[in-house]
Amino acid sequence: MRKLIIFPIIGIVLLLALFTFNQNKEELIIFHAGSLTKPFDELERELEKRNNIDVRREFAGSIATIRKITELGKKADIVASADYTLIEDMMYPEYANFCIKFAKNKMVIAYTNKSACKDEINGENWYEILGKDGIKFGFSNPNDDPCGYRSLMVIQLAETYYKNDSIFNELIEKNSRIKSKEWNGKFVIEVPPTAELNINTDKIVMRSAEIDLMALLESGEIDYLFIYRSVAYQHRYSGIHFIELPEEIDLSNYSLVDFYGKVVVNFSTGKSIEAKPIIYGITIPLNAENKDDTIDFLILLLNETGQKIFEENGQIPIVPAICDNIENLPSQLKKYVVRE
Amino acid sequence: MREKIIIYMSVLGGIAVIFIALPIINVFASVGIGGLIEAMKDKNAINAILVSFEAAFFATLLSLIFGVPLAYILARKDFPGKSIIESIIDLPVVIPHTVAGIALLMIFGSNGLIGTPLEEFGVKIVDSMLGITIAMMFVSMPFLINYAREGFEAVDPRLEYIAMSLGATKTKAIVSITLPLSMRSIFVGSLMAWARAISEFGAVAVIAYFPLTAPSYIYSQYLQYGLEKSAPVAAFLLFICILIFISLRIASTRWKRYDKD
Repeated sequence: MRKLIIFPIIGIVLLLALFTFNQNKEELIIFHAGSLTKPFDELERELEKRNNIDVRREFAGSIATIRKITELGKKADIVASADYTLIEDMMYPEYANFCIKFAKNKMVIAYTNKSACKDEINGENWYEILGKDGIKFGFSNPNDDPCGYRSLMVIQLAETYYKNDSIFNELIEKNSRIKSKEWNGKFVIEVPPTAELNINTDKIVMRSAEIDLMALLESGEIDYLFIYRSVAYQHRYSGIHFIELPEEIDLSNYSLVDFYGKVVVNFSTGKSIEAKPIIYGITIPLNAENKDDTIDFLILLLNETGQKIFEENGQIPIVPAICDNIENLPSQLKKYVVRE
Repeated sequence: MREKIIIYMSVLGGIAVIFIALPIINVFASVGIGGLIEAMKDKNAINAILVSFEAAFFATLLSLIFGVPLAYILARKDFPGKSIIESIIDLPVVIPHTVAGIALLMIFGSNGLIGTPLEEFGVKIVDSMLGITIAMMFVSMPFLINYAREGFEAVDPRLEYIAMSLGATKTKAIVSITLPLSMRSIFVGSLMAWARAISEFGAVAVIAYFPLTAPSYIYSQYLQYGLEKSAPVAAFLLFICILIFISLRIASTRWKRYDKD
């Protein structure tokens, strides 16, 4: 009878072991956009070489990444988003008070050797190919993921650039309840809630995040995929090719900010996002503990090591990085950024 | 206090109950009646829940058709390679959900071994009800097979022999003796498989994002609006599942009379 006490004791010991497990080593927790996975993985290894630290990264769509902090109350030392405006819109002022713009990206159209019409498609005729019968293309859910609403922006900008006002209608409006209209000199894209998107799944394949769609492209389920150049580039050895788009529509050029700004995406939540160049933002959440390792990681990201890693992964670093509220930045980082 | 052991076990068991019940009760508490009613009025939520229930129902039905015969064979017969088959059946429980989804895509996708010929006939699996059903079936079938098998194993094979010695055919012996006696296990197995199918998110989301299932809808609500709009739908789904569980468990007690004791 007495001996039975052993079972709860084992239980408690196990629990304690779990709680203390891994706590002998310092941890640095980073939540980041899925499209940063590869460069951040390399940065993690660089940091772990230098410091005695265990870097734990969690990646998801940028919106999901920020919601982990603001809704779920999870704690991270660093948060990086594929759209810096999400940090300002969703985290300021309660969860963050600065944002460093550190890297750019551009939209491309990825394909594989299995894609139909792959030999014909180029940066000038892609919208005709995508519109052809039997061709399937993919983009992530604009409600869930910046890459999704940016895909819509690209298609809308294409109308102005190619002087062809049927592109959005042919590709999007005919195959979903997403609508675009001209209003006050701007193109306003209305995105209904996910359950009411009514996607024609014979034409458009949508998933929550752009990373989810890579498997579908690789398996030949979709012919073409709107995705970030860096992600397509990182998959170049697994049979992914991509076409570059004119910079007037690929959201890469800062000097075209006014041209891009003609397109606005409205969401059922009441939120409205104007097309802007793709710029990644990073911040230290206000509830994070001050750690030297956090600073070390950010220095690594912002100095030559990080710049080199980003370039090697097909993403353009912003040199020097730009910070909006430089007075809130930890002082060790100030020399790596310029004021907005 | 001769039954000290019972008190002892009750305390430990109580911890287990609290561990499971607390997070669930907390969901309801944070949502409140108002939130629950709000979710009930959300047509999209109802649709998504119906999609989940329907696909899970068909997945369970298909698992019954193919799984129960297999469970019988496994319970009664020994043959070379049996342990390999047993391990294969349990695999879906271990495979990470996204990996399961991608594995299914390779077979049932437009360029897959089975997907290609099916597409010739105009059968669409990716982003269709069929795709959801297939993903759910893959992850939930092991539960049904294992429960049914335990049910069959609990029935003494000599009962079948007696029936056959009295003139019944093997088929008749199985249908009128073994099946009724293991009905409760098959039923509980079906319920578990159905529940497992409802809860599947990862594998389903790879193969079919549309039509939106309840888990996909809840996740999308969460991304768009945060917890405020997604928790009520989650609570509503839980609420319906609890009702179904309780009523089916009560209904199944009538099979208890067949159980040995």
